[in-house]
Amino acid sequence: MPAITFRSSTVALALAVAAWLAGASRAAAQTPVPATASNTCISCHESLPGAASHPVTGFATDIHKTRGFTCVNCHGGDATAAEPEAAMDPAKGFKGSLAGAAGVQVCASCHSDANFMRKYSPSQRIDQAAEYATSVHGQRLAGGDTKVATCVSCHTTHGIRAVRDAKSTVYPTNVATTCAACHADAAHMAGYKKADGSPLPTTQLADYQTSVHFAAMTKKNDLSAPTCNDCHGNHGARPPGADAVVNVCGTCHTTFATKLQTSVHAAVFDRGCVECHSNHAVAQPTDALLGMKDGALCVTCHDGDNGATAATAMRASIDSLRDSVEQSAALIERLHASGMEVGAQQLALREARSHLTLSRAEVHTFDPAAVTKVVDEGLAVTATLQEAGTAATAELRFRRQGLAASMIAILLVVVALVAKIKQIERRQADDGEPPH
Amino acid sequence: MAATTSSWRARAASWLEERYELGAITHFIDSKRVPVHRHSIWYYLGGMTLFLFIVQVVSGILLILYYRPSAAEAYESVQYIVTRVEFGWLVRNVHSWSANLLVAVAVLHMASVLYLRAYRKPREFTWVSGALLLFLMLGFGFSGYLLPWNELAFFATKVGTGIPGALPVIGHDIVRLLRGGDEVTGATLSRFFGLHVAILPAITTVLVGLHLLFVQQQGMSVPPSVESRVKNGERLKETRFFPNFVLHDIVGWYIALAVLAALAAFSPWELGVKADPFAPVPPGIRPEWYFLAAFQALKFLPSHVLGIEGELFGVLVFGGLAAVFVVLPFLDRGAARGRPSPIVAWAASVIFVVLAVMTVLGYILA
Repeated sequence: MPAITFRSSTVALALAVAAWLAGASRAAAQTPVPATASNTCISCHESLPGAASHPVTGFATDIHKTRGFTCVNCHGGDATAAEPEAAMDPAKGFKGSLAGAAGVQVCASCHSDANFMRKYSPSQRIDQAAEYATSVHGQRLAGGDTKVATCVSCHTTHGIRAVRDAKSTVYPTNVATTCAACHADAAHMAGYKKADGSPLPTTQLADYQTSVHFAAMTKKNDLSAPTCNDCHGNHGARPPGADAVVNVCGTCHTTFATKLQTSVHAAVFDRGCVECHSNHAVAQPTDALLGMKDGALCVTCHDGDNGATAATAMRASIDSLRDSVEQSAALIERLHASGMEVGAQQLALREARSHLTLSRAEVHTFDPAAVTKVVDEGLAVTATLQEAGTAATAELRFRRQGLAASMIAILLVVVALVAKIKQIERRQADDGEPPH
Repeated sequence: MAATTSSWRARAASWLEERYELGAITHFIDSKRVPVHRHSIWYYLGGMTLFLFIVQVVSGILLILYYRPSAAEAYESVQYIVTRVEFGWLVRNVHSWSANLLVAVAVLHMASVLYLRAYRKPREFTWVSGALLLFLMLGFGFSGYLLPWNELAFFATKVGTGIPGALPVIGHDIVRLLRGGDEVTGATLSRFFGLHVAILPAITTVLVGLHLLFVQQQGMSVPPSVESRVKNGERLKETRFFPNFVLHDIVGWYIALAVLAALAAFSPWELGVKADPFAPVPPGIRPEWYFLAAFQALKFLPSHVLGIEGELFGVLVFGGLAAVFVVLPFLDRGAARGRPSPIVAWAASVIFVVLAVMTVLGYILA
C-alpha cells in the first residue's frame, strides 16, 4: 500500500483544482437535458439482463432525476441516437462507466460550481471535491489506490438521495453502516495501516454500536448525536490525529475540553479525551471511573502518588454530594407522596443536581480544590433541603397527631349526642309521646 | 342557680316575643314531625348535602382571603396557602374534598328521592329546585377546578369548554362566552373565579332557600308503599323534627366532618405543576370524576351518528337527558297519580349503570 507522500498530496491538490476548473468550464454543458420520449439509454438498458439494467431502476428515485438530469449529463453521449454505437460514441463525449477519479471529476463538474449549484441548492457547500482531495481517501486515490471510497461509494451511483432523506445512505442514522461497508470488511481493509504501522482495525462499527453516541442517535432519535463524519469529517475524512482529539470532542463537549486543556493532564495525555473515554466505544461515564478503587481509570497510571491522592479526594468529594442529593431526593419524594407541597424543594433539588453535574465536569480540571468548591456549593443546597425536609416531616407528624386528636373529639361529641338523643326519647316516652 | 338561669331565659324569650312574635316559629318547630319508616335513613342525605355546602361556603371564604385570581399569581397564591398560611393546607384540602363529597352526596340524595318517588305531586318544584341545585354544584366543581391554574386543570378546562363548540350556530359563541376569548387564558380564570364566588353562589342561595322552604312547608314525603298502608288505616310513625331529627342530623354531620378531616390529612389534594399554555398536552388529561362519564362517552362516539357529528350527538343526548331529569315529575304521570312507574326506575337504573361503567372506563383507559 503506497504511503501518503508530499508527491501524492500535490497530485490530489492538482486533481481538485482540475475538477474545479473542469466544472467551471463545463457548467454550460451540465444543464439538465429535457426529458424526451426517445431516451435511448433508458429504452436500451432497461431491456438488458442483469446489472446492465440497474442504472435504470436505481435512477428512478435519484434526486438528480427529480431535478431534470438524465444519463448524458454524467456519462455524455447521445440519448437520441437509436444505435448503441452512435449513442455511446466517444466523439459525442461518451465517458462510459465513471470509476475512481473520473467519477469524482464528473460530480465536481457541477457540485464545485457555485453559479451552477446556486440554481438548485444555494446553501449547499461547493468544496466537497477540494475537501476530498485532502482526505485519506482522496490522497490514496491520487496515489493510485482504486479501492478507496469516492463520491459514489457513500452516495451510491444511480440511487442518490438528498442527505435529509431518511433513506439516504448518508442520512445521520445510516452513516455508520455506510462507512462500515468498507471499514468493517476485513478483506477489503487488509493491507491498510495506521500511521504507526499497525493494521487498521475493522471493529469501529461494532465499537460505535456500544457507545453512548450510538444510543443517543438510535434510541433517543437524537440526530445531532455524533456518527463517523462528525469526528472524522465526511468529504475530508481522515483520523483526527491524537493532538486534535480534544478539539474534535470539544466541538460538542466544550466545557470538558476547555477544562482538560488547562489541566495538568493536557501535556500528559497523548490521545486527549480518548485516554479515558476511548474513541468509538465511548461508554456512558460514571463516577466509578474516578478514584483508585476497582473499575477506576486513574489506577491505570497512578499508584501512591499525588495523582492517586487527588483522584481519591475528588471521588470522595463527588460521592458525598451524590449521596446527599440522593438522600434529599428520597426525603422529598416521601414528603410528596404524603401529600405535602414540596414545589420549592423540588426546585432546590434540581439546583443541587446541577451542582453535581458541574462537579463532574470540574473533574476534567483534575484539581481537587476546584471540584470541592462546586461540591460544597451543592452540599449547601442539600443542607437547606434536609432542613426543609425535617421541618416538613415535623409538620406532617403534627397534622397526623392533630387529626387523631380531632377524631377523638368528634367521637366524644357523637357519643354525647347519641346519649342525649336516647335521653330525650326516654323523656318523651315518659311524657306519653307515642314510640317510634 | 337553675332557677336564676330559667328566669333569665324566660325574660329573654319574653323580650324577643314582645318584639318579633317568635311564638309562631317556636310553635312550628315544636309541632313539626318527621315520618319514621324503613326508608327514613335517606332523609338524612339532604341535611348532609346542606352541611357540606356550608363547609364549602366557609372554607371558600377563607381561601378568598389569600387567593389571587390571575394567571400570573393564582398557582403561587394556592401554593402560598398550602405552605405558608397557618392551617391553609387544611382549609384548601377540606374545600377540595368537601366539593367532591358534596357532589357525591347530592347525587345519592337525588337518587334516593327518585327511587322513593318523592318528586311526585305536590313536591314537583322541590325536585326541580334540587335538580337545578345539582347542576349548580357541577358548575361549582367545573369552575373551581381551574382556579389553582395547574396543568391538569388548564388542559381539562380547555377540553371541557370546547365541548359546546360542537353545537351548530351558537357553539362558537358559547365557547367564547365560557372562555372569555377563543382560548383558555387568564381571562377564563377571572371569568371562572367570578362565576365560582359570585354568580353561582347568588343563584344557589336563592335556590337553596326555595328548596328548604318547600321542604319545610310540605314536610317530608313518604314512599308510595308507606302511603298506601297509611291509607289502609295503618298508623304512620313520626318523630319530632326538633330536637330528635335535628340531633340525628348533627351526628351525621359530625361523621362527615371526621371523614373530611381524615381525607384532608391523609390524602391531601395535590397542587400539581403550574399551567403553561405553550406546553404540550400532558398524558392522562381528564376532568373531575363527576364529568368523567360524559367525557368518556363522547370519546367513544363514532365520528358520525344518525347523520350528525358524533360530538354534537353526544352533547344533544346529554342535554336531553339533563332536561328530562329536571322535568321528571311532570313526565312521570303514574307517580303523580299514586301508581307505580317501573319504567322510570328501570331507565334511571340503566343510566346510572352506564354512567358508572363509563366513569370506571375513564379511569382505566386514562
